[in-house]
This record gives sequence, structure tokens and C-alpha cells, in this order.
Amino acid sequence: MNKKLFVTALSSLLAVSALAGCSGGGSSTPTPDAGSSTPAATAEAGGGEASTTPQVLRFGCSGYDIVLNPILSSNVYDGWANDLMFQGLTKTNSSGEYIEGDITDSIELSEDKLTYTFTLKDNVTFSDGSPMTADDVVFTYMTMKDPDYTGPRAGVAATYDSVEKIDDTHVAFHMVAASPANLQNFTYGVLSKAHYEYSSMEEFEAKNNDPMGTGPFKLESAQAKQYINLVKNENYWDAANAPKLDGVQFLEVSEEALLPALQNKEIDFAQPAAKLENVEAVEEMADTHLVSYLANGYTFMCFNTTRPTLEDVKVRQALVYALDRRNFLLAEYGSNELVALGMCPISKTSWAYPGDDELNAYEYDLDKAASMLDEAGWKDTDGDGVRDKDGVKLSLDWLVYPEATWPGTLSGMAFDSWKQIGVELNIKTLDFNTVAETAMDAAPGEKDFDIYTMGFSLSADPDPTGGLFDYDAYSAGGYNASGFYDERSQELIKLGLAEFDQDKRAEIYKEWAIRQNELLPTLIVAYRSEIWAINNNVHGLDDIGVYTSWTDLIKDVTMD
Amino acid sequence: MKNYVIRRLLQIIPVFLGILFILFFIIDKAPGSIVSNIMDPTMTPELKAALLEKLDPNLPFYQKFWNWLVQAAHGNFGYSSKHFKPVIDVIGENIGVTFALSLTALIIAMLIGIPAGIISATKQYSAIDNFLTVFSLLGLALPTFFAGLLMLKVFAVELKWFPTFGFISSTNINADFWTKLGDHAYHLILPACVLGLAETASFMRYTRSSMLEVIRSDYIRTARAKGLSEKVVIYKHAFRNAMIPIVTLLGFRIPGLISGALMTETIFSLPGVGKLSVEAVNNRNYPLLIGINAMLTLATLFATLIADILYAAVDPRIKYD
Repeated sequence: MNKKLFVTALSSLLAVSALAGCSGGGSSTPTPDAGSSTPAATAEAGGGEASTTPQVLRFGCSGYDIVLNPILSSNVYDGWANDLMFQGLTKTNSSGEYIEGDITDSIELSEDKLTYTFTLKDNVTFSDGSPMTADDVVFTYMTMKDPDYTGPRAGVAATYDSVEKIDDTHVAFHMVAASPANLQNFTYGVLSKAHYEYSSMEEFEAKNNDPMGTGPFKLESAQAKQYINLVKNENYWDAANAPKLDGVQFLEVSEEALLPALQNKEIDFAQPAAKLENVEAVEEMADTHLVSYLANGYTFMCFNTTRPTLEDVKVRQALVYALDRRNFLLAEYGSNELVALGMCPISKTSWAYPGDDELNAYEYDLDKAASMLDEAGWKDTDGDGVRDKDGVKLSLDWLVYPEATWPGTLSGMAFDSWKQIGVELNIKTLDFNTVAETAMDAAPGEKDFDIYTMGFSLSADPDPTGGLFDYDAYSAGGYNASGFYDERSQELIKLGLAEFDQDKRAEIYKEWAIRQNELLPTLIVAYRSEIWAINNNVHGLDDIGVYTSWTDLIKDVTMD
Repeated sequence: MKNYVIRRLLQIIPVFLGILFILFFIIDKAPGSIVSNIMDPTMTPELKAALLEKLDPNLPFYQKFWNWLVQAAHGNFGYSSKHFKPVIDVIGENIGVTFALSLTALIIAMLIGIPAGIISATKQYSAIDNFLTVFSLLGLALPTFFAGLLMLKVFAVELKWFPTFGFISSTNINADFWTKLGDHAYHLILPACVLGLAETASFMRYTRSSMLEVIRSDYIRTARAKGLSEKVVIYKHAFRNAMIPIVTLLGFRIPGLISGALMTETIFSLPGVGKLSVEAVNNRNYPLLIGINAMLTLATLFATLIADILYAAVDPRIKYD
């Protein structure tokens, strides 16, 4: 359930990253097996022995929507299948920077920083063997601008005015505004125009059953909530980087059955929830090993700073001092190795993270919290055990959703420790969608909460525009629910987008992050890890990392 | 009889419309919308509002109700924007497994529950009756998720007799029809047993109490007095009459065949209408939610009608005119 929710809450900015495998510079050797019906493993498949059983990698998880189209899918798991079938104009490297995608030779940015010109490799073909040209790129990106388009990329489509074909291998994007974060808009896989051309959007969407891209795999079959079966694209254009596997299967496996299925070798690898019990279970398995890393995302706790109780930064800081987050992490995740204490709105994995020394960790200190509340003028004048000021009681409503377990754990601990410093907490359990509506969809002034908690995944670029901490997003439907305004912070957000030098940008975001850490309109609760359990007979997946998805590694994956 | 059926069929129409009307009303009052859980800073409030207007235009609920009816009359039961497919296709992809699972479970429940109930009744207060009573209470009391996890652990993980997940083995995806059918059956055994467990118990309890009542009636004493063997008395005279309430029970179970079993589907990673409905609610995917509920409403209404007709068939005392 936890996982599933995380997916729905996932920012689609999270790179639908294109395939790895830096191309060997445009060699156009045709695939030797093209057209043959049995893709027998050739010499490259292993140590000389031609094995007869096809090498099929099986990934298990729960929650595919099976929307097999890179511009319609909003689900990470579907996204991985799309990554194997489609390739985009840009992708992220292992440090989270956006670079040329597999099908791109070079990217040129104009003087005014408003036009990106992509030079496409001239030997790229779709899985039916037809060449990919600038027309296909224009088609893909203009479909997102179709008035009837209802997919999740409308925000991406709003960043460019038009897409222009210069010639077959050159395509220019004319952006609405200059921004160093613009390259993240071009990661989406290129669709074949000839295959996808439509007269109605429903016709386009019906092609989800029959995807066609330039990637190393293609769809063999899929069944709703059961499996996605991909096989090797025998016409793959990049022969030097062709995968050694014959197929990849995405199997629907419930959270409960994930580790049993791994143990029984019904699947080859999986991404269980990052909890100690799962780590221990995997370590007990004889043939399986773990890979873990800190993920690019955080869980947060947003304060409604427009409330008289929470408008004073001292109160917000006191509440955080009175929250034993280290204990919470231990209770919820079972181990400090699987999670890091939340510090600031920039992820620890980002090049813009200021470093722990620059930030206040708000270590648990009830006495300090109590004296801060005293200083702020909140005292228990009527002797009911709850502090008050000017006739307002320090009583807070916290919206918790039950789809994940951690908001319940955290608010439960807060209930106890805050009570000790004279703060009353009312925990209100609502479903995720209702929490989102109350905090975000409601207009400013009608946002009926004091605190709510949620978890986000982040894009590789640290730009906070439009997000939780951007005052401009404090509106009906905007993502800032705290209502907190700080002039310098807003200035820094704008400066960050005007600067194209990454080192200078990092300095701007560091100053911004340190400010947020101090002003606390929203507390970053934790940075969570991701863990992978991989069967020992699978080789080449151990470099999975925060900006390296397993689909990036696929070309070198082999199995015993 | 014919008049009765026609009258009942005509009654279905207003009841169906009434239930749908209430459904549209409740959905209208529910908080959140299909765009509420989009968490993407590039989706500005304006873009979200525009998307919402395309997916779920802001109309009064009775207007939406009327539009749905008009579209349904043309064979269009809505479009699931989450799946980018017509609602009817989305339901179609899930209902097969749900039906197979529930039907298998129902058959298991009847095959075990009814004979066990008869034995229990004829041997009232004996050791076997006590054993079956305890067993059935356990079956009713044990939550499905617990029983499911337990059976998964024992039969799939420890003994490895059954697969741990899914409806088909990954190696059989491209197998021929009969191999696939066999594989599906193999995958269904464990979940169907779990789902059938609680139902077995309720069939047993119903059969037992109904049988006990019949056994004590005058015509059974008469049959025994005629010198008929105990076997004939129980299985020919008593059993048929004891089955009358079971037929009603069966009628109520028919909608259950397509409504899905959330817990069983979730634990055994099966596709199904149960999971689909919960997802539809969580995503505020109203077209899908209405599609599923319209289907379930119709199924329930028809099932009760069939149960009533069957009632007349098995019980000669009941006459409809």
C-alpha cells in the first residue's frame, strides 16, 4: 500500500529517464539476428556456451497501470517498461545532471537561452525497422499540446511554445522561458509518427496496447494487473549496445508475496519497502543479495502558517524540537541505515545540498521546546494543561492518511510528546485524495488544517518553482499549503532559474535551503532509502542508484 | 408466473435508476477529484483546472446522471482516463478472473458445506457435529487476510505446492489454450480455498439449521413410520425441503461472483473487480466507479429475481400469480 501510494504521489518530473548505454558513436551494423524467429543467445550472451534457454529477467512488483506510452504514463513501474521500449532526447547521468539521450548526438542552446536545437543520430530506427527522424520528435511533443490531450504531461508541454523540424536530423524547441531546468522536459520517449498518427485522441490512446519506440525491447504481450512481457527488439539500431537478455517480464506480485516469490525463484529481483524486517528477510535468503541507496525524495510535514497558532516561527521550531524524529525513524523503518533525518527541502543526493553542518537537525529537546513556547508568549493561563495566547488555545489538527503507515506513527509520537509541553493535538484520519484536496485544492483561507504530512519524489533538478516552498504556488490547486511568505526565499528561487552555471546555482539553492531549514514553513521529516533484492544469478544490476535506474543498466545484464 | 416475472422485471427499472441517482448524488458530495492526487509542480493550478474540466466537467449531478443514461443507451458506459480505455474494457479485463475465483470458491463451499451440514444435523450433538461446528465457527471468525497469508506461507512458501502469486506462470504466457487453462486452475486453487473457507462455514450453518427443522417435522416422522430406510428419509424427503433456504442463500451469492474479493485478490496478486473498485475510489475515477456499481446493481436485482423464481420451483407451496 505504501509503495502504491508513493507512486500516485510521484512527481512526474521524476525522470522517465531514457536508456543508458552511451552509444558507440553511431555505428550502423545491422543486428545479426534480425528477422530470425528464435533469438538464440549468440557468443555475446555469455562465456562462449550458447545456452538454449532464453534469458528472461523477471521483475516483481504491485501496481502497474499498464499504460505503455511514455507521454501518457504516470506510474513508475509502467515507466520502467516504457524506458526499455522508448528513448528520449535527454537523460540523467549518475550524478543527476541532464545530458544527451541515446538517440541524440548533441544539444545546442541559443544565445537567448530560449531555443534548444537537438542533433539526432542518423541511424536510429523504430522496432519495425523504419527510421526515426525529426518528424517523429515533433509529433511526440506536439501531441502533448493537443487540446484533447489528457495525459500527465500538460505541465511539460506548457514549457515550450513550438517544436520545429529543421531537417531530418535537426529539431528545435522554442521555450516559453529560459531556465537551466529546461532539459528535464525532453526525457520522454519518442513515438513513431507513422504508427501513432491519430484522428481522435481515443485512437491514439488505444495504441497503448501496441507501443512502438526505438528502445532495445518491444512489447510481446500484456495483461491488465498480471504482466507486461517484453522481448528483445531484433531490429535494435544500436547493435553495439544491444542487450544480452532475450526478454524482460514485469509481473504483478502483491507486497505480501514479494519476498516469498523471490525466495521460490518465481521472480529474479524486486524492490521491497525499505524496512528492517525486509532487509533481514532478504539477508536470510541464500541466493539473494541487497542493494540500497538514499533515494531522491523526502517525507514532509507542512504547517499552516496562516493560523494564529503557527504563524510564529518560534512555535514551529518548538514543535519540531519536541518531536523525537530519530526515535520515529527507528520505530518506523527499524534501522538508521534505511533512512536519514530530514534536514532541508533539497535532497541529500542533489548537487545543491548544503551539507549537514550548515543545517539545524532540531535534535529532540523538550525543555528547549517548552522555553521557546514560553518566549513566544504561549502559556497555560487557565490551567487546563493546554497553552494559550490571546484567548487562542495551542490546539492543532493534523491530517493523516492511512494509505501509508508513517504519518500515523509520527503523529502518534507527536501526540504524546507535545502533550508534555502543553500542546493539544487532534489527529484526523482522511484518505489521501481528501488530504490533498483539503490542503492543496482548497483556496487560500479555506485550507482547513494545521498540519498535514505527505511524501514526494523529486526531479533531478533542484528547482523548487511551483512546489511546496514556492509562495507563488499558494493558491487553489497549488502545492504550497503553508502560506508562508519570505521575500528573500522567493528572490532566491528566481535567481536559481536565471543562473546557468551549476556551481553558482548550487550556492543560490544552498542559501535558500538553509533559510527554509530555519524558517520551517514545512519540516522535511526524513529522506528515505530504496532497497533492491536481487537474485545472485543476475549480474549487472548492482549499480542501481539514485539516478541510475535498473533500466539504464539493462544492456550489460546477464543471467546464469 | 409469467405475469409475475414481467411485473418484477418492470420493477427493476425504477429501482436501478433510483440506486444510480443516489450514487451520482454521493459522488457529487465526495471530497477530492480526479486531479487531486496529481503531485507535480509543473502542473499549475490552471493546468489542473483545465484537465479537470476535460475529464469531469463541472455540471450539476442530475445533469451528469442524465448524460450518463443517454450515453449508456447508446452503448457508451464512460471512459476511464486513468487507464486511457473505455470503462467497459477495463471491467472486462478484470471480471474474468473475479468470476472464475468466486465461482470456484462457491463450488468448493457448496461441495463441502452442504454435506457437512447434513451430517452435522443428522448426528446432532455427536462428536462429529461438535467438530464441524467448531470448524465452521473458526471459518467464519478467521479474517480472510490472515487465512490467506497463513495458507500462502504454508502451501506456497514452505511446501512449494502452489505458486506464490498471479494467475499464470511467467513461462506459460505464450502457451497454448489448454496449458494456460490448466495453469490458471493451478493458480486458483489456493485463493479459491481461502475465499471458500468462510462461505463453506456459512453454507454448513444454514444447511444444518434448516435440516434440523425439517427432520423434526411431521412428514418426516410419517416417512419413518412407513418404514422407509433412514437414507431415503434423509436424502429424498428431508434434504429437498431443507434446500429451500439454501436456494435463497445462493441467490444472494450471485452478485458476489462479480463484485470481487479485495483481500484474496490482493494477497494472491490476482486481477479483479475488488481491487479495481478500491482503486477507482482512491483515484476518484468516477466513470469507472459508476460503471462497476451499475453492473453490480443490475446483477443484484436480477439475482434476487432468479432466486425468487427458483424458490417457486423448489417449493410447491409457493405460487406466484
